[in-house]
Amino acid sequence: MYKHEGSRGSGAPGWVLQRITGLLLVVVVIAHFFVMHGNYSSGHTYAAVLARMHDPFWKMFDLTFITVGLWHGLNGTWGIFRDYKMKPALSLTIFGVIILSGVAFWVLGVNTILSF
Amino acid sequence: MAYQPKPPEGWLKTNFKYYKHSGSWAWILHRITGLGLTAYIYIHIYALTSLTQGPKAFDDEMKIFSSPIFRVLEWLLFSLVLYHAFNGVRIVLVDWANGARYHKQILTVVYSLGVILFIGMGVLMLTHGPAIVPSGK
Repeated sequence: MYKHEGSRGSGAPGWVLQRITGLLLVVVVIAHFFVMHGNYSSGHTYAAVLARMHDPFWKMFDLTFITVGLWHGLNGTWGIFRDYKMKPALSLTIFGVIILSGVAFWVLGVNTILSF
Repeated sequence: MAYQPKPPEGWLKTNFKYYKHSGSWAWILHRITGLGLTAYIYIHIYALTSLTQGPKAFDDEMKIFSSPIFRVLEWLLFSLVLYHAFNGVRIVLVDWANGARYHKQILTVVYSLGVILFIGMGVLMLTHGPAIVPSGK
């Protein structure tokens, strides 16, 4: 009778995307960690980082990475908050903080990537 | 007899009093590590904006991040990554494959693989990093 029990949607697209982006991130984040955080010479020197930043492949990689990573993190965060019964005003505030900070940091990161 | 609702109790009490199986701990850890990693992405994005300020700004910053304390923190951060990644695969297996039948065995694999790669990363960071010198030198 009530299709989604008063919710706007079933939430399924977000749930599916959370899993798809998650599977992608498993591979990418672990690889990223081994290259950038595990090895001092490839990860921590300006010259090595800049050489990668000029490469179109790594540029696309970074843009995808930051978009997918932020979305997965923030969708998950919102998913946690959504589990608790909140007053509409609080819910809207938290949602607003998530969206606004997410967009702001996405712009900040994309600006860094596209500066080279 | 009419239904008697239980008296309301606090959020903390509800969450802490029921018995937790290995799966509930996995769920709790997944959320905590997820929030931690999301907070870290923000720090990460902000920290790397120094790249746009030239080599000196970036190398000076990396000098701080290469100090022993930050390298240990970086290593510990990897434990959050490993747990969240492998337990995430476990969640997908439970949701989309027949993982619910084997979720406890998969959890053992999650913890074991995590510990092995965590130690492996520790070795890699020690052998492929600059010599550890006390900060300030």
